[in-house]
Amino acid sequence: MSSRIEILNDGGYRSDGRRQYELRDITIDLTPQGTADGSASITHGLTQVSVSIFGPREAKQRSQTLHDRAILNVEVNVLPFSTGDRRRRGRSDRRILELAASIKSTFEPVVQTSLYPRSQIDIFVSVLQQDGGLLQACINATTLALASAGVPMFDFVCAVSGGVHSAAPLLDLTTLEENDLPHVTVAVMPRTKKVTLVTLETRLHVDRFADIFRLACDAGQTIHAEMRRAVKERTRTLVAAMGAGPRAGPGEHMDRDVVMDDTIIDY
Amino acid sequence: MATVTISKAERSYIQTSLQAKPPLRADGRALLDYRTVLLETGVAPLANGSAKLNIGKTSGEGGGGTEILAATKLEVEDIENGEGVEGGRISCSVTCSPSAYPHISSNALDDLQYDYTTILQQTLSHPTLHPPNLGILPKKRSWLLSLDLVVVSDSGNVFDALFMAARAALWDTKVPRTRPVQYRANPSGRSSGDNMQVDQENDQETTSGFDTRQMAATAADFELPDYWDEGETLGGREKWPVCVTLNILPPVHFLDANVHEEASVPLRLLLAFSFPPNSSANLQAMRLLGPGELDLAQMKSLIAYGQKYAKDLFTALEVKLREEDTRRNVKARTRFAAR
Repeated sequence: MSSRIEILNDGGYRSDGRRQYELRDITIDLTPQGTADGSASITHGLTQVSVSIFGPREAKQRSQTLHDRAILNVEVNVLPFSTGDRRRRGRSDRRILELAASIKSTFEPVVQTSLYPRSQIDIFVSVLQQDGGLLQACINATTLALASAGVPMFDFVCAVSGGVHSAAPLLDLTTLEENDLPHVTVAVMPRTKKVTLVTLETRLHVDRFADIFRLACDAGQTIHAEMRRAVKERTRTLVAAMGAGPRAGPGEHMDRDVVMDDTIIDY
Repeated sequence: MATVTISKAERSYIQTSLQAKPPLRADGRALLDYRTVLLETGVAPLANGSAKLNIGKTSGEGGGGTEILAATKLEVEDIENGEGVEGGRISCSVTCSPSAYPHISSNALDDLQYDYTTILQQTLSHPTLHPPNLGILPKKRSWLLSLDLVVVSDSGNVFDALFMAARAALWDTKVPRTRPVQYRANPSGRSSGDNMQVDQENDQETTSGFDTRQMAATAADFELPDYWDEGETLGGREKWPVCVTLNILPPVHFLDANVHEEASVPLRLLLAFSFPPNSSANLQAMRLLGPGELDLAQMKSLIAYGQKYAKDLFTALEVKLREEDTRRNVKARTRFAAR
C-alpha cells in the first residue's frame, strides 16, 4: 500500500499538494462549548480536536490535591468515528493514556499552577477527526482553551510535527506520511524560545534530527502567530460585545473600557 | 441518574412555579414548548452518515444546550466465520464526554453511558425497524451498522436529543452499492499467453468471470461499483422512532426539561414512537424513570398525549431532514458540475 504513495515527488510536492515546509490549514474556533470554563477547537487540515477546560476548581478526589499547587487532570476521548476504520478505544487504552500523559507533562511547567493550591484544572480533550499530527493538535487546542478559560500561563505552547523523507525534512505530517516516515513532535514556547516537549518514536540520524528540530522550532513561531491572532480576534469581539450592551456600572468606567480597547489593538 | 443535585428549596421553588396557574418556567417557555433545536447532517467526513444536534443553544455567541454528535459506520462482517448475522445487524453505543458531566466520577460516567446505550440499542435494533438493505451476500457477508452517539454537553432532555440525533444520522446513512462477483475457472484449462485473443463466439459459451446477471447464492465475493454518490439510503428510514420525555409532576406534565427541572420532577416517562408511512403509529419503547408512581388510567392518557407530541416532533424533524437532504445534494451536484 505504502509503496504506491510518493511522499515527495520530483517537483517537490507532497501527496496532498503541499511543499516541504508548508503547514496545513489551521482553523481555530474559540466559541464556548457547553458549560466549560474555556474551550477551543482547532483543525490542522483534516485533524480536528476540541478541548474543554474546567477549573481551577475543587478536586473530585480530595486525596489527589497538592498543598502548594494545582494539579492538571487530562482526559482524552477519541471518538469512534474519527478514523477510517471504526475502533472503540476505552479510557484505559495505552495509546490514549500516553497521549494524555504527554499533554499533561507538556503543560505542567507552563501553567502557573502555584497560584491555585489545593485545586484541580480539568482538561478534557476530544478528538473529532484524525489525519496525522494528533499530539500537535491536542497541544495547540489545549493552549488555546486554557487561554480562553483565563488560566494564567507563562507562555503559549505551540506544537508541530515534522518528519524526514530520505534527507528532506517535512513539516506537519498527514497520516499517510506518518506511517512511512520517522517523525518527531516538538512543542515550543515561542516567547522564551524554550522547548517543552520532544517526542520521537522511531529512529532518526542525529544530523537529520538537528535539521528537523530547528525547522520545527521555527514552524512553532508561525503557529504561534496564528494562535495569537485568533485569541486577539476573540478578545476583540468580546470587548465589542461588552461595549454594545447596556452599561451595568456608573459612567466613570467608560474611560477604562476605551483604554482597554486601545491596548488590545496596539498589542 | 442524578447528574446534578439541587437543594430542597430550589426543588420546591421549581415545583411550585410549574404547578402555578399559569405555569412558569425559568426560561419563559410554556409547558409543552421545546427549546430551539439545531440540526446539521453530514458533519463527520469519515462516517457513512452523521448528524450534530443541539437543543437550547443560547442565541448569539454563547455555548450551552444539550449537544449530541451521532455517526454511523458500516463494516463488512462474515456470516460463516465471523459475527455476522443474515441481513445485517445494528449496534448502538453512547459515549458521554467527561466535559458534559464535569462533576461526576468516571465510574458513574460509565454507568450513565451504559444506561443510554441500553435504551438506544434495545429500541433501534428491534426487528420491526430493521432496514432491508443491510445484507450483501446471502449466507456470506452482511453489513454491521454501528451507530455511535456522543453526548458532548448535557443541559437536560438527553433522551429526546439522542433519539433525534440517531434518527438524523440513520436518515443520512448511505449504504455503498455492492455487486456480487463469482469467480469461475476457465473451462478450457489453458492459462498461457495466447489466451489473450478471445473471439466473439468463444465468449458466448464461456461466460465472463465477472458476469453478475445470476447473482445467486453461489456468489463468492462482492465488489463496490464506482458511482457518483456514496450509495443508497438506508431502507425504511422513515420508520426510525422519535422519543418524547414527559416530565410528570402531578397534575401537570411538561416537555423538554432542563437539568434543574429534571432533577425536581418525581417521574419521567420516555415514549419512543415510530410513524411508518401509510399506517398507524407504533410505540417502540417506553420507560418510567424516577421514584414516583402513576396509575393506569393516567398512564393511558399520558401515552395518548405523548403520541400527539411525538407526531409534532416527528413532523418538524422530517421537514428539517428533507431540507438538509436538499441542501447537501444540491451542494454535491454543484460541486460535481463545477469539476
